[in-house]
Amino acid sequence: MIQLPCPWCGPRNVAEFRYAGEATARPDPRTAEPQQWRQYLYHRRNACGWVQENWYHSAGCRKYIRLERETLTNQTRPAGAAR
Amino acid sequence: MSAGNGAIGNGSSNGHPGNGHRPGNGSGPAGRSTRTTGYSAFSLLRHGLTKSAWPRAWREHDLQRSYDVVIVGGGIHGLATAYYLARNHGIHNVAVLDRAYLGGGGSGRNTAILRSNYLTPEGVRFYDRSLELYRHLAADLNFNVMFSRRGHLTLAHNDASLRTMRWRAEVNKLQGVDSEVIDPGQIAELVPYLDTSDTVRYPILGALYHPPGGIVRHDAVVWGYARAADRLGVHLHQQTEVTGIDVVDGQVRGVRTNRGDIATPIVVNCTAGWSTLVSDLAGVSMPVQTFPLQAAVTEPVRPFLDAVVVSGTLHVYVSQTDRGELVFGASVDPFTSYSMRGSLDFVEGLAAHVLELMPALSKMRLLRQWSGLCDMTPDYSPIMGTTPVEGFYVDVGWGTYGFKAGPVSGEAMAEAIATRATPEIIAAFGLDRFGRGDLVGEKGAAAVGH
Amino acid sequence: MTQQQVRTTTTSTGSHRLDVQPGELIDRSRGFTFSWNGRSVPAFEGDTIVSAVAAAGERVFSRSFKYHRPRGLLTADHHDPGTILQVDDEPNVRAGHRRAAPGLSVSSQNTWPSLRFDVKAVNQLAGRFLAPGFYYKTFIKPERLWPAYEKVLARFAHAGVISPQTAHDYYDKRYAHPDVLVAGGGPAGMTAALAAAAAGARVLLVDEQHELGGHLRWGDEADLAVLSELRSAVAASPTIEVLTNSVALARYDENWVAVVQRDLPGIPERLIKARVGTLVVAPGLIERPYVFAGNDVPGVMLSTAVRRLINLYAVRPGSRAVVLTANDDGDRAVRDLRRAGVEVAHVVDAREGGDVVRVHGRSGVRAVELPGGRKIEADLFVTAIGWTAPTALLNMSGDRPVYSPEAARFLPGDGLPPEVMAAGGIAGDGDLDALREHAEAVGTNAARDALDRRRRTRSGLPTRATDTGTVPGGSGAAPAVEPVPVPTLPVRSHPALFRASTHGMVDFSEDVSSSDITTAAREGYDSAELVKRYTTATMGPAQGKLELVNTVAVLAEATGSTIAATGTTVWRPMYVPVTLGALAGRIFEPVRRSPMQPSHDRLGARPLVAGQWIRPDHYGDPAAEVRAVRERVGIIDVTPIGKLDLRGPDVAQLLNLLYINKWSKLGVGRVRYGVMCAEDGVVLDDGVTGRLGEDHYLMSTTSSGAASVWEWVENWLQTEHPDWQVHVTPVTTAYASINVAGPRSRELVGRLVEGVDLSEDAFGYMNVRTGRIAGVDDCVLWRIGFTGELSYELHVPAGYGLHVWEALLEHGRDLGVSPFGVEAQRILRLEKGHLIVGQDTDGLTKAYSAGLDWAIKLDKDDFAGRTELVWQQADGAGPRLVGVQPVDGSVVPPEASQIVGEGSRILGRITSSRMSPTLGRSICLAQVDAAFAAPGTQLTVYLPDGRRIAARVTDHLAHVDPEGARQRVEEGAAPQPARTAEPVARSPLEPAGTEHTVAGWAVGDRVSGAALTLADLGPLAKVAVRAAHDGRVARTLGPAFGRSQRDGTGALVVGSGPGEWLVLDAPGTQAALRERLAGLVAADGEFASVVDLTHGRALMVLRGAQAPDVLAKVCAIDLSEDSVPNGAAMRTSVAKLVTDLVREDTTAPGEVTEGGELVPTYLLHCERSSGEYLYDALLDAGAEFDIVTDGFPWPQTEE
Repeated sequence: MIQLPCPWCGPRNVAEFRYAGEATARPDPRTAEPQQWRQYLYHRRNACGWVQENWYHSAGCRKYIRLERETLTNQTRPAGAAR
Repeated sequence: MSAGNGAIGNGSSNGHPGNGHRPGNGSGPAGRSTRTTGYSAFSLLRHGLTKSAWPRAWREHDLQRSYDVVIVGGGIHGLATAYYLARNHGIHNVAVLDRAYLGGGGSGRNTAILRSNYLTPEGVRFYDRSLELYRHLAADLNFNVMFSRRGHLTLAHNDASLRTMRWRAEVNKLQGVDSEVIDPGQIAELVPYLDTSDTVRYPILGALYHPPGGIVRHDAVVWGYARAADRLGVHLHQQTEVTGIDVVDGQVRGVRTNRGDIATPIVVNCTAGWSTLVSDLAGVSMPVQTFPLQAAVTEPVRPFLDAVVVSGTLHVYVSQTDRGELVFGASVDPFTSYSMRGSLDFVEGLAAHVLELMPALSKMRLLRQWSGLCDMTPDYSPIMGTTPVEGFYVDVGWGTYGFKAGPVSGEAMAEAIATRATPEIIAAFGLDRFGRGDLVGEKGAAAVGH
Repeated sequence: MTQQQVRTTTTSTGSHRLDVQPGELIDRSRGFTFSWNGRSVPAFEGDTIVSAVAAAGERVFSRSFKYHRPRGLLTADHHDPGTILQVDDEPNVRAGHRRAAPGLSVSSQNTWPSLRFDVKAVNQLAGRFLAPGFYYKTFIKPERLWPAYEKVLARFAHAGVISPQTAHDYYDKRYAHPDVLVAGGGPAGMTAALAAAAAGARVLLVDEQHELGGHLRWGDEADLAVLSELRSAVAASPTIEVLTNSVALARYDENWVAVVQRDLPGIPERLIKARVGTLVVAPGLIERPYVFAGNDVPGVMLSTAVRRLINLYAVRPGSRAVVLTANDDGDRAVRDLRRAGVEVAHVVDAREGGDVVRVHGRSGVRAVELPGGRKIEADLFVTAIGWTAPTALLNMSGDRPVYSPEAARFLPGDGLPPEVMAAGGIAGDGDLDALREHAEAVGTNAARDALDRRRRTRSGLPTRATDTGTVPGGSGAAPAVEPVPVPTLPVRSHPALFRASTHGMVDFSEDVSSSDITTAAREGYDSAELVKRYTTATMGPAQGKLELVNTVAVLAEATGSTIAATGTTVWRPMYVPVTLGALAGRIFEPVRRSPMQPSHDRLGARPLVAGQWIRPDHYGDPAAEVRAVRERVGIIDVTPIGKLDLRGPDVAQLLNLLYINKWSKLGVGRVRYGVMCAEDGVVLDDGVTGRLGEDHYLMSTTSSGAASVWEWVENWLQTEHPDWQVHVTPVTTAYASINVAGPRSRELVGRLVEGVDLSEDAFGYMNVRTGRIAGVDDCVLWRIGFTGELSYELHVPAGYGLHVWEALLEHGRDLGVSPFGVEAQRILRLEKGHLIVGQDTDGLTKAYSAGLDWAIKLDKDDFAGRTELVWQQADGAGPRLVGVQPVDGSVVPPEASQIVGEGSRILGRITSSRMSPTLGRSICLAQVDAAFAAPGTQLTVYLPDGRRIAARVTDHLAHVDPEGARQRVEEGAAPQPARTAEPVARSPLEPAGTEHTVAGWAVGDRVSGAALTLADLGPLAKVAVRAAHDGRVARTLGPAFGRSQRDGTGALVVGSGPGEWLVLDAPGTQAALRERLAGLVAADGEFASVVDLTHGRALMVLRGAQAPDVLAKVCAIDLSEDSVPNGAAMRTSVAKLVTDLVREDTTAPGEVTEGGELVPTYLLHCERSSGEYLYDALLDAGAEFDIVTDGFPWPQTEE
């Protein structure tokens, strides 16, 4: 059971969080082309290494947090609250 | 793709003339006699009496400078594709590369459950063809893969899932697949150890019963395909890692490996877990996220469970091997990872849910847990066929259902490569569907697979 | 095997028990008997099953699984492959470890002889023809025969039997947070533990055996002296917790270590989940068997087995022995044998090149054959040819052990992370002093690193007060203690013996021989992983502990490679098998109940499990319930409907973004139906939202969607629009919700409501009002119509839910009021054509496919899913939701029946279907291809029974009253409010003791004065405040997130979240408290909101010195002083339920006084509907500490 470095609560078991996926930017809905929008919907980098991702601390502070995780070792480090 | 096609059309450089398209379940590997090396009770007896050594199941080769087709990934999908390329299409000059040993990935880590009771017509047709190939695979490969028809039960613990089971059953019937929704009484007869009382937290309201479902010896399938492909001239290269894919003018020219470079017009990505990374080498982006899928096995006890039992609500599936072990699986881990170290969380949840289903198993002991990597797609369906890079084919995104699809995938990918046309049976699984927003309906009622 | 055969294999029935041995574990004053294969066997307390049976002269304990060879004891401990037995209803018991107990029924567990052919024949056949992979090579044709073969092969499965009667005993779990966990309680382990404790660490010392000591236990007087010295030192150390008969099963990421603790009183096995600072691996070494012909014949034993039998259990292992020794332990075994009166006929010294060829005998050793053909008569052959390092935990920590040809065993590699260390024999050789010196240094450094890490992680915790003390020994920035140099243990040269000139057994439990492995390698299965999978070597119950290195050695020999180059396979968890019971522990499955549940039970409701909720499906006759609603009036408990309290100037903007329809113009007092879509345009959830005030809205969601919608809303606010001023508070169970539906609903509600004019003009359809119902203030009334009838949805402060529900039943009796359940509601809404998200839609249904065209407002700049819906509208793709009626109205097509075209092409499916009591015919909703969605279209429905029936697409989704005429009901004169009973509020918890009322709350009066108590604090006023976490309001309120304190008025102010406070005060004061806080925050002029949650939370207090022990069973948080000191507050998971935890130590239940001895006291609160669940979970966890329930601990003032 890895722990995630919650910027509000300190390290907590990952079971307290919900994985909200790789950080992605929402295209401007007024100008987005289908290909671009579906890239946003379906495609992720899925890198093997350090990635930026969002988690929701559902059993804790109830904040969306952003952190960095090494997807092979599952080491984590803070990246500040999601903004 | 003229360059590649020429080579293919004329058969391959190691002297096996293409014998054209021979679909279906032919009997025994084509091309050469297997009399001296074939497996049978008789040969077993003879080897036993003479104490003579068995021949190697597959040979080792030096890496050729070029191949007609290079398949990345020495699991069931890669080996089956190679086998059917050679057997059905006479394309023998094929290399299968694996960065470790054959069947060391998902093929050797899955729980070997076979079924075809999917939700969509395209899904049902596809997996039913696979089941058909599995049924005759032992004879086809001259290697007993120990297919065991057990019957497959998917339990429903609430109205919604019962409705989904009914939905699947009805679609299955219309496709001629044997599936029906049965009630707790019938379930209790099939699996007496299940707690079918209505006083439990997750009462069993019914189940989708799929008699043709069963289990198979996964390693045997890998070795059977490997041995048969080897007999047909396919080169199997273990400990050979692909480090790059050469693409010029949007067309594949070759692959780079830790053992040297290979010129080839056709590269097939048959990897699981690393499929996005391999596709990245060719500059092709995949709508795939990699999640670990964990499994576990208990110590053996005398056989008491014949059917394969799945509970989507409780995220668990269980079957008992001929050796007496219970094999457990679940749904994928809650977050992406390339780690295969496994978690305690998983076995805790697994045990709790198994005991909610079968309370009498509390004294059985868990022997070992392991995990594999699953490439999940947005619509719980694979990605098969061509890509924007000419000559770069993919057979990926297999989520938690890749093993059951191995034979049909190999057959269909081989046909797609040899005929340069997408076979109807995989038409729905193209990479371009995501750009069109035309997802496959398996997402319609996302239940745990297996 | 049958019991008969076992008896015949007994060589003697005489006792092999020796005189008293210095280190023996048995208590000869306490004898008893148990049953061994039907025969009564004497035993002493302290005996293992195997030692007792061996003392009785038994040599054969089981038969091997493939070749059915007799098997005896090999190691005489937990890992002994031949002594895995059935004990009562428990299969696969390690009888070499399990203590014998009076009355046990023990039996061998092989089935093979039940196959009807001569066992000898099988053995001969087996050796030659059951070659590795023989399954794969045969039974191939004819295909139809394989299933028959398979049935026979299944009989091979030996092992134990499980019983369907086996009860699910009380297995449990607890969390632990040791600074140092030492795996292994031998001399090195004990020494490391002592050193770590001396350095200030909290230590968990885990040993597999029933007592500490490892190999010292069977050593000489000197060893025994050291042993007792170490044992007493460990016992004297207050910071070392010793767990014997316990095993570190596995090490996972971030030093999450699983430990199983066995044979506790009333608990067969307990799983301990430890977050370990530093893991010290000190398992010592496991003796490795030798591979030669006949190495599995009963009477062939390892030197450690012989020494265990003699020294621990006073059992004579044989009468005439030959010993093969390659090390001191072999020599010591010779001495022990002689002392035990065993004739040592011959000693073969491998250090001088000695070797053996084979052992003769079948069910017992008859002779040992040496090179040159010399045969020595003997009934015992002892081998001491080397060791295996049990590197599993190191391996799981990422280390790749390296093979040392010098030591002829694997040693730890250099891949260990800093938080894992190896100590003692696994790390190298040396005498007892050298090993202890090494362990001492490792233990000291382990503590140092752990305390260092602990201090760093603790320092940042919000729960720590500024004055919270530091970690033991760890003050300031400097590490706790200086690192000490760890002496490198030498590696002594040891002869490399793996296989003799003959072939023998490698994997005893899988029956894999060295020739099998050689054959497999020749066939191309020539890597460690492939040979493992092909031969199944190391895959059996022994898990490689005995056979892995021999497997690798034989493979290396066969491939002409070296052991180092061949490498090993990966050790995976578990290190030893663990019961499913222990892994499951107490099964935590939170459930939620409505405040009206007691009434549902009284009315005989049939329960329906809907997600976490237990709801009334119906009260006997759903059709009658439907008619009651259509003709008179019915009431349904809709408490599970999700409710979000939304406050702030930007709420309208938020609603516009979340819903597909428009919200900017919704006036105060109005409600509107809305649908949410995900970004792919797929329908996500629906519900009505009402505007209660200028900046105050109440949103409702589906009951199943409540949690995910809340998260969805937070996601948009926190990640996309942090600048918007909106506060979202979930109030789902702050209100009990009752829908009153039917033509006479206005009349019924009118009898109970005060301050609300129900007339059509004053309170029309899709409006919201607040007022007083049955004497209960702050109720919200929605006039909406899911059922299609005139109806009012009443949202009542939850504590009064039962009161209002019963008032409705009582005062509606003359109107013919009837409670109705979920089933009746489903029928009613289907008649009205209202869709259910997730039933009439699925994971791919976009809004236009759900018949929501009327609601979708593409002219809005943006809303979730808009982009895809623009495209869907353009291409008209996807199915359509339509009303469908079978031509034959007596046929109800089951839901999910398929709609088919020619050639059985699937055109759609029935999503909902029922027999309509109102229309007296079957009605449906269906999804069909757009081309077949036009009203009047004829459809063919394929029924599960194979019939095909004709059906027709209807003009509307609604089958009943498409025009909505039923909303217009003749108004009688406004009725006079009826006199109702004085409202009594109820907490979700059963009152402890005699019931009385405090401030209008029904509570229990018990004050037990027990040492450990759990009491209900439900009635306390609870008001939540939201504001910026770092603004003026925050400063005004006081405590930051993670802390709590009493304010001037004595109210407890809790920093319950970032920018979120919960204030607790005396029962009945919530109104005043709300006002006071509203005033406070208003003064600061900041965006802030105040919400009364008095009825929304269950609140209880756990008090007693052992309260932390109770919580340790259900909560993963380390509650130690330096993490969760007095005054700490946090939200976490308790028994898998999101729970708020506040520590406020007390001297007496409920009250805080200055000075006096403070007792650990924790307030726990959760969503009201789960209160009963949390209460029960805590009582279950507290049972072993004699927890007692108390009533509401409040001075009885009024009445």
